[in-house]
This record gives sequence, structure tokens and C-alpha cells, in this order.
Amino acid sequence: MNHKLELRNVTKTFNTEEGEMEALEGISLVVKPNEFLCIIGPSGCGKTTLLRLVAGLDQPSSGEIILDGKEVIGPSPDRGMVFQEFSLFPWRTVLKNVEFGLEIKGMKDKARRELAEKYIELVGLKGFENCYPYELSGGMKQRVAIARALATEPAILLMDEPFGSVDAQTRNILQEELLEIWKRTKKTVLFVTHSVDEAVYLADRVAVMSARPGCLIKCLDIDIPRPRKRTSVEVNEFREQLLMLLSLERSKACISV
Amino acid sequence: MKEKKGLHFLKRRGIIETIGISTVVIIWQLVASFIVKKTYLLPSPYEVFFAFYTVREVILVDIYISLLHFGIGLGVGTAVGITLGALMGGFKLVDRAMDPIMEILRAIPPIAWIPFAIIWLKLTHYSAGFVVFVGAIFPILINTYTGFKSVDKIYIDAAKVLGCKKGMSLIKSVVLPYSLPYIAAGTRIGMGIGWMCVVAAEMFGASGRVGLGWRLWNRFYALHMMDKLVAYMIIIGLIALLLDRIFRYLVEERTLKWRKGMVAV
Ligand SMILES: Nc1ncnc2c1ncn2[C@@H]1O[C@H](COP(=O)(O)OP(=O)(O)OP(=O)(O)O)[C@@H](O)[C@H]1O
Ligand SMILES: [Mg+2]
Repeated sequence: MNHKLELRNVTKTFNTEEGEMEALEGISLVVKPNEFLCIIGPSGCGKTTLLRLVAGLDQPSSGEIILDGKEVIGPSPDRGMVFQEFSLFPWRTVLKNVEFGLEIKGMKDKARRELAEKYIELVGLKGFENCYPYELSGGMKQRVAIARALATEPAILLMDEPFGSVDAQTRNILQEELLEIWKRTKKTVLFVTHSVDEAVYLADRVAVMSARPGCLIKCLDIDIPRPRKRTSVEVNEFREQLLMLLSLERSKACISV
Repeated sequence: MKEKKGLHFLKRRGIIETIGISTVVIIWQLVASFIVKKTYLLPSPYEVFFAFYTVREVILVDIYISLLHFGIGLGVGTAVGITLGALMGGFKLVDRAMDPIMEILRAIPPIAWIPFAIIWLKLTHYSAGFVVFVGAIFPILINTYTGFKSVDKIYIDAAKVLGCKKGMSLIKSVVLPYSLPYIAAGTRIGMGIGWMCVVAAEMFGASGRVGLGWRLWNRFYALHMMDKLVAYMIIIGLIALLLDRIFRYLVEERTLKWRKGMVAV
């Protein structure tokens, strides 16, 4: 079977003060190797929750998550994550941030530095190695976060609305760069967004999530060759479909993707 | 252009400051020599200046001894304060068990410990050091605790996905560096309190007949050598200022450079 990542009927219920809160309801999903899969859904539908489960930061209430044939039980550097909010360590320079995972691994100084520099260059931040995060713009911070996630050479990259807090133009540039990195490093990418435009521009496939409790209601193959033109007719057609799906009331049944 | 403006500003500030100090000294001199006219009520700056000259040798010894007491207390206080603060910040159980006792101990003025310092540690350098320790430990402990408690969860999560397992490696790589500014601020406050404690403990003779505080009280005050007493007061103040500046330079400007973007300095 050709599975990189598989989610089998994964649910997540949070215990809150007002009682149990169902955040995810029966997510079944398969991601193929080298695939760029976008998950799109309205705010609060459980996208972050889903990625945190795959990352191993939270445990599913039921169901299983399988990566490369092994069940996910906790966080590990074989799943790189780029968080929705800024997550760079403010006390470390760009270089030291990217080196973090390698340091934990116990890699030697020189090898570590070389590898970190390679990824810093890949995200286009050569020359900023010794800057502290406060000296960087929002877009640059997310680039460093991407480099940091890539440096441990994970099998899969989990991205949680990484470009959500940058302006539209920077966002477009970052998207193009991400595609370039993806092409070069041949990673599997699970990318969460609530932007229809972003999903259609980036993904091989887009899975649509319903409002809370989140489940997948539809999956679209975006079979437009790259490089895509943001304003082309095909792109617009997909956009329209997705917008329609997102505006649907919660009536559709959950599906496996 | 901006730099030029900054320099100009600094220059003017320097001048204004000099004028400020000179004015105070001149008024002090005038009041002392034309209104008060009694050295033991208010020694004049001129007399204090000569007092400095006469005590120039003994003052060096006293400075050395007082700094020794201060160093002992601050060293132990920092080590114990950070350790306890970290334990309380890291483990709920320790926190709950120790919080009430810490609150009570903290409320006791450090100077009230002088009798026990003398009884337990005799008239050694350690007994004045102990009083400094009591004065310095609480701000350090509480700040370390606060730092540990306020680590953003996002940094912990980020470290976990990058391979940090629970426990020591998380503390070492995330919690401790995150808390460093808190610990530094606590230490700075602790240093201020500790220096006051040195002088007080020495005044009571906690470490025998030595130190700036001892001489100030048991020699100069007892013999009404107020000019020398003022000289000592000035030195005590200057040392506190110097210690604070050195600390700020070494720690805040070097080690904590990364914080520039987070706080208005
Ligand atoms: N630790 C938690 N405890 C309780 N409830 C939680 C917890 N984490 C998330 N939730 C709830 O689960 C739901 C889904 O949250 P999640 O953060 O996954 O949404 P999201 O799709 O990422 O939203 P956004 O697009 O705004 O980032 C929300 O209603 C949220 O309040
Ligand atoms: Mg989210």
C-alpha cells in the first residue's frame, strides 16, 4: 500500500468546564508520499486540533494515526511542525533556532552548523543567521520556522496556517517558495488553511472540513499543472466549488479521504 | 542624523547633571558653614572630602570585608533561590507544600534574623552572609518561580516536536532560557536588598569588628566622627550603584540582548 500517513476514524473530545466538547468526529484520511494535501475548514472546526494529534502533542480520544506503518504515540522529530502562531525561541538567533532540533539529537557542532546553514539558505535567509527573532518581520519568522522544521529532516511536514498572519503579497511569495522547497526536498506536506485561494494554489488535493465537530465532508483533486496561475479559469472553478462547500450547512455526511 | 541628535541630547544631559550635583554640593557647603556651623550635626562637603583622605586605608579593608559578606550571601541566595524557585515552578506538589511557609518566612524582615545568625554561625563572615542570604533569596526565588510558571506553551510544544522529551532537556533548553530575564530581575532586586542587609548586620556586629557597617556605627557614630561617617555613607551608596551597573552591563546587555524587542528598556 502506498500510504505515508493514515488516520483511522480519529476523534477528539475535550473535557472543558461545561462538560465534554467534541472537536473532531471520525476523521479518516490517507496521505500519499510526496503529496501536498491541504485541509480547509472554517475557524474553530478543529484544524489545529487535527494537526496536533498527528504531531503527537495530543492524544486522540479514539481511532489511530499511522505514519510509515507505525502508530503515532508522541511527538517526534520525524514530523516537522510549523505552528499557526510565532513559535521561534526568542532567546536564540536564527541559526540557533534552526540548530535546535539537531542539538537535541546530539549532532556535532560543525555538522549541525552546516546543515542549519543549508536550510537557512533554502528559505532565503542567508545573511540573517545571527539575527534574533525580534529583528525579523512576520514573514521572515515563518521562513525560519520552516527551516527549523525541515532541519531535522522529518518524513512529513505539518503546517498550521503558517502564512495566516502575513500580508497578501508576502503570502503569495511564501507560497511560491514553499512549493519550490517541497519540489526540491520531496516532502509529504499536510497543510492547514482557511483560505480557499491558498488551498487551490498549493495543493494536490484539498480536503474540506465541516464546522465543529469537525469531520471531512469532501475531497477535491486539484489536477491543474504547476506553476499555476492564480487567476486562471480552472483555478477559479475550484475556488467556486470550495467556497460553495464551505458555505454549506452541516448536512453532509462524513467521508473517508 | 538620528545619531547626531542622540549625541547632542546626551551631551546636554551630562551638563545638566553636573550642574545638578554641583548645586546640591554648593548649597550643602553653604548651609553647613554658614547656618549649621557644627560638624557633628552636618559635616560640610569640604570636611567629608578630607575625611575620605584620612580613612583611605581602612576603608579599603572594610570594602573588601563587606563585599565578602555580600558575596557569600548573594552566592548562596542565588543558588538556593533559583533551585527552590525552579522546583516550586516545576512541580505542583512542591509548590503547594512550600508556598505557605515561604510566604511566612518572606514576611519576616531579614534583620530580625541577626540574633540567630550570630548564635548559629558565631562572629564569622558567614553570619553577616546569612543575613544577606535571607534578604536576597526571596526576590530571586519568586522571580524564578514566576518565570517557570509563565513559559508560553507554544515554546514547549515547539521543543517537543523538535525532539525534546519531557523533563530535564525541556527545562534546560526552553524553561531556563525563557526564565532568565525573570531570574536576572530577581537577582538585581536581591542584590539591592542584600547590600542593605550587609550594612545592618555589620552594624550589629554580626561578623565581629569588621566591615563598612560596623565601623560606621561602632566607630564613627560612637565617637561622633560625622565627617567620616558621611564619607562611609557615600561609599556604601556608590558601591550599591556600581554593583547594579556592573550587573546590568554583564547580564542584561550581554546575555539578555534578545529581550530588546520584547520590553521597553
Ligand atoms: N485544549 C483544548 N481544550 C478545550 N477545547 C479546545 C482545546 N483546543 C481546542 N479546543 C476547541 O476545539 C475547537 C477546535 O479548535 P482548533 O484550534 O482546532 O480550531 P481551528 O480549526 O484550528 O481554528 P482556527 O482556524 O481559528 O485556527 C474549538 O472550538 C476550540 O475551542
Ligand atoms: Mg487553528
